[in-house]
Amino acid sequence: MACAAVALLPGNVPAQAAKAGTASTGSGVNHVLTKGPGTPEHALYTERQSDMLGLGPDGKPDPGYKATGVGVTPAKTAHDPSKPPHQMKLTKEEQDILDGKKGKALAKVMRTVVDHGNLFGAPKLVDLGGAPHTSFFTGTPAMAPLIKAFTECANEGLKAYAPYTINPRPFDLYNVQTSPDEQNMIFEGYPLQTEIDHLHVRLGGRNLDTRSCMCYLPEVGNAPKKGTFTAWAESSAVNAGNSILGIRTNRNSCGMDLMCAILGKAPYFGLLTDEGRKAKWLIEVKTKGEPDWGVLGGAIGEKCVEDVPYIVGIDKYFDGKITPENVHKMKAMGAATASNGAVGLYHVEKLTPDALDHGRDLLAKGYQTYVIDDKEIERVRGTYPNLWPKNVKKPNRAYIGCPHNTYHEMVSWGTRIRDELKKRGLKKVAIPTHFFSATVVRNHMFYEHPVMTRDLHKAGVTFTNTCVVCFSGLKGYSKSEFGVTNSNKCRKYSNSIYVSDDNLIESIMTGKLVT
Amino acid sequence: MAKQTFKGRPVVAGDINGKALLSKQPFNPTSSYIENIWGGATDKAPCTDQDNKELYKKDLNGVILCTSQCIGSSMGGAAFMAVAGLGVAPKAMLYSYHIDAVSASGIVMANVWQEKPIITIDLLGDEFLKAVKTGDPIAVKKDGTVEVG
Repeated sequence: MACAAVALLPGNVPAQAAKAGTASTGSGVNHVLTKGPGTPEHALYTERQSDMLGLGPDGKPDPGYKATGVGVTPAKTAHDPSKPPHQMKLTKEEQDILDGKKGKALAKVMRTVVDHGNLFGAPKLVDLGGAPHTSFFTGTPAMAPLIKAFTECANEGLKAYAPYTINPRPFDLYNVQTSPDEQNMIFEGYPLQTEIDHLHVRLGGRNLDTRSCMCYLPEVGNAPKKGTFTAWAESSAVNAGNSILGIRTNRNSCGMDLMCAILGKAPYFGLLTDEGRKAKWLIEVKTKGEPDWGVLGGAIGEKCVEDVPYIVGIDKYFDGKITPENVHKMKAMGAATASNGAVGLYHVEKLTPDALDHGRDLLAKGYQTYVIDDKEIERVRGTYPNLWPKNVKKPNRAYIGCPHNTYHEMVSWGTRIRDELKKRGLKKVAIPTHFFSATVVRNHMFYEHPVMTRDLHKAGVTFTNTCVVCFSGLKGYSKSEFGVTNSNKCRKYSNSIYVSDDNLIESIMTGKLVT
Repeated sequence: MAKQTFKGRPVVAGDINGKALLSKQPFNPTSSYIENIWGGATDKAPCTDQDNKELYKKDLNGVILCTSQCIGSSMGGAAFMAVAGLGVAPKAMLYSYHIDAVSASGIVMANVWQEKPIITIDLLGDEFLKAVKTGDPIAVKKDGTVEVG
């Protein structure tokens, strides 16, 4: 292979002036950029869609931020030049693949995964099980190089080791972006969406009706057994998979997830290992009643960044076990730990699989303790900025479902909105209200509660399978859409304001901001 | 100025000389390369990250970028691949801390899939970031040695 082997061989540095000249985004995108918030301004909003920002509570960069983003802080923080570069051991079969005996594209996939693993000290590759989940889902111009790489794989007939799930499509032209201006922005902003969707079909991705960040819900059905090695991406899915299911995955970057899926192997390090799953923080929750799950998760994420927390004091709010009826609490907390920090795994005493097996033996030597009481919850909540312009006082949208709703959440919120409308003698909600979920989850609600679903839809509630963060943070929307949400993750990545469930209902009924 | 030498870990090894561009705060590739990945810029790489006062509006094409590590969305890996493909990537990336997963993905994939290596050294230590200043001459050796001054 012509490429320089990472950390092994000297790279032949080609002239930087040699341009590929293939990544021009055309005039369409420029056109949008000039009339919207503008490229640099929009960068902030685009970026706030993402994980591992390294921003402090004030939204400014944290100069002391140190996290590798894989889900566990590396033991190695200094280089010893007397030691040779780390090289994992490969089996004969793996070496054959690397040597190109099973095709050029697969050799490059192997090289990518091995080089990446070597950087993080992985001693070997492990076989993956269950099914992959990928966050390679936005057809933006930035994805052109990755699309090209995976097209090379598809052209050689490569596929993922199992049919895999994919994050939601980043827009919904049927239910959300329905005006000509909005649709123009979508087509110009996501010019490669069809290419990426087609590529997923070729590589073994599952149907569009399962597109969701909540791949582990029963309707979607990607919930590998405890202990299964996977290489998932999407911070909330990684966080829930490791913690609620007990699978073993690192926080993979977009692209690396599919490389591992095609290879069927991942480097063994970090959260795949027993040592990497040890908790460096004991979190003692001492609120007087059930905590605000989003703020609790946010507080934990800001404190632990990417280290593993062991949480005590919340099992009493789960009636002894995690069920389809209460898993949304865990989702809200976990997603906030992953977005306000970079937590890839948390343990909850008496509830999560690792904690049930090992209890406080999971606490690492020298662990630190963080006590969260009502005062601390309010302190953290008070740091969340209002990013709306000063002249904007009222929300014009309500977002429910980030990460995507469970069936029981949809029924619970639907019932509450229907009953409140009836109680107040209202026919419609005051602001457009969006329920975000996988299509198969939405269908579940349609089947079980057809009348309520119909009434909600007629009252102005939209059911959509897109991603609320992509929507609320979308280029051109950030200066015109001012949402309220029950998701701390959505708050983190957009200009939306995070409110309690009671206040969200009030906003939906009155159109006012209630905090 | 007196020459100072630091030893780091070669992530993508190579010999190169150039001028330092310092970002004391972590570098955010997605926010920084918006003009290249969204705006159609192909012959330069103006930094679009308003949060990064040291780099904002400076051309990142061909610099030796010195920072602690990278932050930001997982799109950041694709951003490195994009600027490598355009030929406007940094000549080298020098990290004082352990490389992060996002930039590692992009730098590894640019090397393997595009054959456009971005020479990269990490684990250079906190003293490296204290020593280096924007405009300093830098020499990077393939064994991970970095000479400042």
